Amino acid sequence: MQLGFLVDLRLCMGCKGCEIACKVENEVPLSTWRLRVKYVDVGTFPETKRTFTPLRCNHCANAPCERICPVSALHYLENGIVNIDKERCIGCAGCVMACPYGAIYIDPQTQTADKCTYCAHRIASAMMPSCVVACPVEANIFGDLDDPTSNISKYIQSHQGNVQVRKPERGTFPHHYYVGGGNVTLNPLASVRNEGHNLFNNITHLPIGGH
Amino acid sequence: MVHETIAATNAVVVLDVALPGIVWGWIITMNMWAKSIGTGIIFLAFYLLKKHPEQTGFIRFPVVAISIVFIHIFLLFTVIDLHQMFRFWHIFFHPHFSSAITIGAWMATAFVGLLFAMAYFIYLKKDEAMYDKILGWTTLLAVPVTLYTAGLMAQSTAREIWQMPTESAQMILAALLAGSATMLLLGGNKFSDAVKKDLGIVLGLSAAAAFILYMAEIILGPMKAEEVAAVVAYVKGGEYTVMFWIGQVLGFIVPMVLVCLSLKNKSYYLLKIAAVSALIGLWVSKHVWLVIPQLLPMS
Repeated sequence: MQLGFLVDLRLCMGCKGCEIACKVENEVPLSTWRLRVKYVDVGTFPETKRTFTPLRCNHCANAPCERICPVSALHYLENGIVNIDKERCIGCAGCVMACPYGAIYIDPQTQTADKCTYCAHRIASAMMPSCVVACPVEANIFGDLDDPTSNISKYIQSHQGNVQVRKPERGTFPHHYYVGGGNVTLNPLASVRNEGHNLFNNITHLPIGGH
Repeated sequence: MVHETIAATNAVVVLDVALPGIVWGWIITMNMWAKSIGTGIIFLAFYLLKKHPEQTGFIRFPVVAISIVFIHIFLLFTVIDLHQMFRFWHIFFHPHFSSAITIGAWMATAFVGLLFAMAYFIYLKKDEAMYDKILGWTTLLAVPVTLYTAGLMAQSTAREIWQMPTESAQMILAALLAGSATMLLLGGNKFSDAVKKDLGIVLGLSAAAAFILYMAEIILGPMKAEEVAAVVAYVKGGEYTVMFWIGQVLGFIVPMVLVCLSLKNKSYYLLKIAAVSALIGLWVSKHVWLVIPQLLPMS
């Protein structure tokens, strides 16, 4: 079994329901996020549109975080999920540095690394990840990539040519796919990130993490 | 910083979470700097005791003492940077050997063991032959202890400019620079002109080679990938430009010039100034190089 995720960006409407569901399900502390939706405005007025990109751990087949972890706190489960053992983590932040997707953070409460686990605890009880359940438009598709009859496999088959992963050149082989993505949505350097000009807040950097 | 933004798309991030700040900061810089001195002085001691055994015999105990002090500074800063420092023992009881951190921790532990063995034989037993024998193995082990940080940086997949094999070369050069500078300050006028000349040459050449590598990264690096260009922009007119050049001037340019002048004038004072400048500049250079890739948005 190889669990994977697919987000159809054409369906996502940026409601952030997945973000909140994840926060509640996993008790993610304030100022940190396992899953977030990034808004990027494209175009010049009046020809503008807003894109929404949910970003979470990619559960790579060749995960740099798993490789760099000195104590195997980050490890693979049999279903392909890259899981984290917070009791074992020493908080060296090597994984934070190694992840090319910025998906790992230091939990300010436990002082250990944390990230999306595809809700491994729910999957162990035969439930879907909380973000999948919360999505009102079924933009999040989750399932077994090894099973050609699973929803995610069928979705990938029916959207051949329009399925992408983030930073494929890194050789991490993500198990997280996007349909309808583009350079602006998937490449962080393809958009301007102005200090203090966000929609609802003016924070772009957190003074946490280091000492 | 933004390289693929084009007028046609005019893409602007309008809502996102706060990005993490600098995670590996000055504590890691101290770690790398202290390690450069701790291993570098061993490299230089091995060389001097082989080439000038009659004139440098007195360095045996001071060298091992300095190495022990700086390797422990390195270890101290390694541990205090951990967010869960009291779990440090997990590295030894739950080791994951694909990680450069694990390899480094085990190597450094063995290195410390050899340093204490050297100290024991020279201070308590006065056994120079045994000291020299262990010094060979210690020098050999100093190579991976010096290099493991480069491995760690290379394992940080998307942190551009932390690349293999460039960082390996930079780590060895930093050790030679710091080792020769410390040895010059340690030896004082007790060294003969020939020893001072050798140390000056090592200092000057390692400074020159490190400077060339930095410049190659700055000038040619942006051709490799847009991420490299984005990172390098922080020191090419960006917020770390001044600090970067302070590091380059103090760490490499001043030592190069002063070593040339001192070799010409046979002035030991110039070499001492070059050594102090190199040690300060190395810290600054390492710090800038550590910080700037962390400013790049990853997602």
